[in-house]
Amino acid sequence: MAEIAIATEKLTRKFGELTAVDGVNLEVESGQFFGFLGPNGAGKSTTIKMLTGLLVPTSGRVTLLGLDFAKHAVEVKRQIGVVPEGMGLFERLTAPEYLEFVGRMYGLDKPTTRKRSQELLEFMQLADRSKTLIADFSHGMQKKLALAAAVIHGPRILFLDEPFEGVDALAAGALKELLGRMTDRGVTIFLTSHVLEIVERLCSHVAIIKRGRLVAQGSMEQLRAGVPSSEGQRLTLEDIFLSVVGEGAERPQVEELTWLM
Amino acid sequence: MADVKANLPENGSAGQPLPPHIPDITAQLRLVAWLRWRSLRNGLRSKNRRMDLVGMFVSGLFSSVLVIGVTIALFVATKYIFEEHKEKYLGLIFLALLVWWQLFPFLLAGFAPQFTFKSLLRYPLNFSTFYLIGLAYGLADAAAIAALIWMAAMISGTLASKPGAVPAMALVCALFTALNVTIERLLGAWLEKLLSKRRSREALFAIFILSMVSLQFLNPLLQKHSGQVKAVILAVLPYLWLLPSSFAGEFVARAGLGEWSGALLQLAGLLFYVLIFSALLWRRYGKLYSGEELSEGIAPNARANRVEQEEVDDTDSLGFLPPQVGAVFRKELRYLKRNSFLFFSLLIPPVMVFFFSMQFSGPFRRGISPDMFFPGMMAYLVLILIAPSYNSFAHESRGIQTYFMSPVRFREVLLGKNLMTLLIVLGELALCVFLVGFRVGFPRAPVLLATLMAMIFSVVGQLTIANWSSISFPKKMEFGRMQGQRNSGMSVFLMFGVQLLLGGISALILFSGRWTDTPWLPVQLFTVLAAASIGGYFASLDPLSQLAEAKKEVLIETLCR
Repeated sequence: MAEIAIATEKLTRKFGELTAVDGVNLEVESGQFFGFLGPNGAGKSTTIKMLTGLLVPTSGRVTLLGLDFAKHAVEVKRQIGVVPEGMGLFERLTAPEYLEFVGRMYGLDKPTTRKRSQELLEFMQLADRSKTLIADFSHGMQKKLALAAAVIHGPRILFLDEPFEGVDALAAGALKELLGRMTDRGVTIFLTSHVLEIVERLCSHVAIIKRGRLVAQGSMEQLRAGVPSSEGQRLTLEDIFLSVVGEGAERPQVEELTWLM
Repeated sequence: MADVKANLPENGSAGQPLPPHIPDITAQLRLVAWLRWRSLRNGLRSKNRRMDLVGMFVSGLFSSVLVIGVTIALFVATKYIFEEHKEKYLGLIFLALLVWWQLFPFLLAGFAPQFTFKSLLRYPLNFSTFYLIGLAYGLADAAAIAALIWMAAMISGTLASKPGAVPAMALVCALFTALNVTIERLLGAWLEKLLSKRRSREALFAIFILSMVSLQFLNPLLQKHSGQVKAVILAVLPYLWLLPSSFAGEFVARAGLGEWSGALLQLAGLLFYVLIFSALLWRRYGKLYSGEELSEGIAPNARANRVEQEEVDDTDSLGFLPPQVGAVFRKELRYLKRNSFLFFSLLIPPVMVFFFSMQFSGPFRRGISPDMFFPGMMAYLVLILIAPSYNSFAHESRGIQTYFMSPVRFREVLLGKNLMTLLIVLGELALCVFLVGFRVGFPRAPVLLATLMAMIFSVVGQLTIANWSSISFPKKMEFGRMQGQRNSGMSVFLMFGVQLLLGGISALILFSGRWTDTPWLPVQLFTVLAAASIGGYFASLDPLSQLAEAKKEVLIETLCR
């Protein structure tokens, strides 16, 4: 049986009266490209923040690579890479300086950090902007840099919150290829995105969260099997998503906005 | 000219009519006021913001003592002026108000709108509304509120002594308010424009430093040439009537005496000033309204060239430090180099020490011995240099997340930051010790040693508390900007409290040597205290790391906003 890379047990997070994440039990095997979906405000970012140590759970447990996050935070963080919501960049550094900073924070020695930084900057097509402050980068360039920083130490799990948002098609293609190769080598990738086509193309497994609760989890085939469809119809992830999330939910009625049409 | 409106579609996207008109000025002003009120009220949902407000309130109480004192003084003065028929002095009161109104905001660095106008410009906002909102911000300024209270006291003083002059006084106060708010907004807008360019900002700061240095010569020069200075002042005095404050005072005086032709002439003079400055402000705001961009991000390529080229060198000059501490230290150093205000402000302590040493040494020496001067200067250094540590994450912005994502304990982050502060203190200390020694002379050995030990005690002790303050009361600050940047109310309150306490303890111990006639006693006491504060500092790092973990949500939310 494959090693479990990410596991949560009754993971819950409350903000005052609001329960943003409610008893989520997740299991992601090593080497999986895992998509985490949900409508706006469903609890995706809150979950990913708890999985990466940016937010303390109200209750429940996070286990990454067999280690309890709460007890072994530093050891766990050494083995994961994160592109958080907002990217977490130090904007008054240049891209090489930022990568050097991150590399050193992960304990890489100076020559290794410098070599990897250079390679990553070239791969991300940022090498020619090595003297520009991050504050002056476009959103897409910042996203690429955040991705470079997330992988500089060779993580075993990669958490990506909307990684392709604002990234141009050329770079996005190269990135997808890179991420695919990483999973081939056993790296687990946990990704959230609102672009269902990307998730469908990249991810082998998907979980869907709705109002803080996990409503579906499994491989694409398992999810398809769980949703009724007409004979011969191959459901897309969008069909599955709408079917799972739409159940019992009030979908916005376009007809109500007649004054806009 | 073609009728622009005639070419505009009358219908919206759905064939529905567009709103017939945009809200009028009053409605737009009400909307902005509502926006500000809701922002303030919603902000108070967070515990940190509430604490911030409490801190500001406590600091405000101290300021209110000054305001109340001047209010009483102005009431009495105005009453006296009218009762004793000394109306010619009213102009001087208005002059003092003018100076206060224009200088105080600069001292507080709060002259520019803290809520950016640009964000309002995406809405269909009238230019007149935009202009009026700018003025309204000027009225909400601390200096303006104080001045308004003082003018109310002047009107009350007039009412108590010469009720007939109240309408004239009220009219002048209203015009004087309009004038002062306009000038203050105008100076703020000009300065904002000047400071938006790195080169002019640095030049301005250099001028400021040079002015501080040249100030030291003022006192000796005034003493040496007092006769000539008096003559110059007497020659200038007659021209004071050209100032708006004189017009204001003269109008009230003449109106009170019933000299209406002369009074109206004075009023016209005051109105002239209001119109001129309003026209200038109208022009400046017009440029902002039409889309003038003042932020530094406007020319990334131009600025990119200013970032230094680093040579490829794989030897780690900070190899003696744990890599994480070294990384944070190096990052702090880079941030310091790129924050021109912070960087240039490091020049102020030695300049000020030099300035003070000029005052208390050489041909104009006033008899302060090195035994007193040296500890005083060192206390001043600590006061100035440790202050930023009370909000040490102010410029991290979204980068704060990196600390929490990285496999580090927060103690390493604190160590890296504190190491940078210590290096700055040490550098400044070395320079200032040299300056003081050269200008005033060194104190006796026991005082010298006791002071240095006291500095270790105070700096290390304060760093421990400052770390706690930075984690507990973070406040985001814009990089490289001066206006509208302040620490949270609680951290300011804490800083003053701690500095007063530690300064008091240190002074008591220093003087204990004199009182007991045992000059080495303070050295022994400070050595014990310094050792205790170093021990306390290292003991605090782990609990502070745990605190940072517990407070990380507040830190991230506050700094990433």
